[in-house]
Amino acid sequence: MPLDLYFDAVSPPCRAVMLTCRALDLDVNMKHLDLRKGETKTPEFIAINPQHTLPTLVDGDLKIWESRAICTYLVSQYGKNDSLYPKDPTARVKVDRLLYFEMGTLYKRYAEVVYPVMRGETKEIVPAKLDALYEAMGWLEGYLAGHKWAAGDNITVADFVLVSSVQAFEVNKINLSKFKNIAQWLSNCKLQLKGYDDVCNQVMAMIKKLLEESYSNITLWKD
Amino acid sequence: MLIDLYYMPISPYCRSVQLTAHSLGVELNILHLDLLKNEHLQPEFLALNPQHTVPTFIDGDLVLWESRAICCYLVSAYGKDDSLYPKEPKKRAFVDRMLYFEMGTLGVSFSNMLFASMADESYSPTSSEIDKFHKALGYLEMFLKDHKWAAGSQLTVADLVLVATISGYVKGGLSLEKYPCILKWFKQCEEEIPGYKLLNEKGAEEAGTFYKQKLP
Repeated sequence: MPLDLYFDAVSPPCRAVMLTCRALDLDVNMKHLDLRKGETKTPEFIAINPQHTLPTLVDGDLKIWESRAICTYLVSQYGKNDSLYPKDPTARVKVDRLLYFEMGTLYKRYAEVVYPVMRGETKEIVPAKLDALYEAMGWLEGYLAGHKWAAGDNITVADFVLVSSVQAFEVNKINLSKFKNIAQWLSNCKLQLKGYDDVCNQVMAMIKKLLEESYSNITLWKD
Repeated sequence: MLIDLYYMPISPYCRSVQLTAHSLGVELNILHLDLLKNEHLQPEFLALNPQHTVPTFIDGDLVLWESRAICCYLVSAYGKDDSLYPKEPKKRAFVDRMLYFEMGTLGVSFSNMLFASMADESYSPTSSEIDKFHKALGYLEMFLKDHKWAAGSQLTVADLVLVATISGYVKGGLSLEKYPCILKWFKQCEEEIPGYKLLNEKGAEEAGTFYKQKLP
């Protein structure tokens, strides 16, 4: 039975799930809901997901949201093998900790920098909050040392989740020259993650244009 | 070989790991760190964990932080069965969803207010921030309507993580009157989670006292 994925590609968590679907060659009904037009707040969608968030996956009787839970579910349920999300506890926890790091630290600090400006609550980026984001990037830089992919020598869902965030930082002009491991890993992701071009490039170009036209006061650049 | 756990009682993230280990019969060597005295910023600890967070967990060569990942690891590595973290993908997805909900929706709606008040004594939560916290509780109330535990009919790590967090709020003065399902679940947690009184009660009280000071 095909899977239904409710998504909006402007959302990094949606892109993470979409990259996972591509990696697994899954047959998915892509159901686009426009976040900015409030299309997630319809009674029909709330009946599926009372938190009305994206991405949301419907797989038979399972309705699941929280992108990182969806990514790991998809590999566990449909992966031909466990390389994208290893079953061995020691290998798996190295992926899990990056998923929680991305949610609770990396993307969170990015949101704290950018959202108040996007919402018009403040006019300018707060320097201390930008410093906190660079601190988190410094930690990620350390975590990437010594291996090609985020959690080791193989691509895992941690790469899909992390790249969906880091590519957003890139279009917001974060200074990647300060983070050589991240820059190299990002380049590897762009070239080697299945479906990266379809899933990410077009929407990131659109976001970049939108930022330049409407949010030129948002820049993550720091020397 | 003992597992080391760098630990602070106020931290619900530390207590959830303790509750999980206890449920599995895993012994932890508790190493106290007081973050309020900046003990986490000592060079030796930074060398171990550059993010200088608690809990930090050391199992042989494996050094971990991120409490929810640690809880899941403990069940996978040491559980005699998978009941606390079911292997079946759909059941596991439900537990995972609740773990991410606790971090990214419920926990953050409170901790944003807490950290703002720790950074600025003159801070007062806005009505929008308070609403966001209660909205998150409202979701949890809804999730708990149809089943006994947070992720279904069995106790899982989702309950241990959620109760460590919520017990601090309750001790800090949060009334669960408007949330009868959460209240029922909370009482159940107090009565049925192994080691709850020994391992969570005191830390939750300390957390509650701290929250009352910062967010009167």
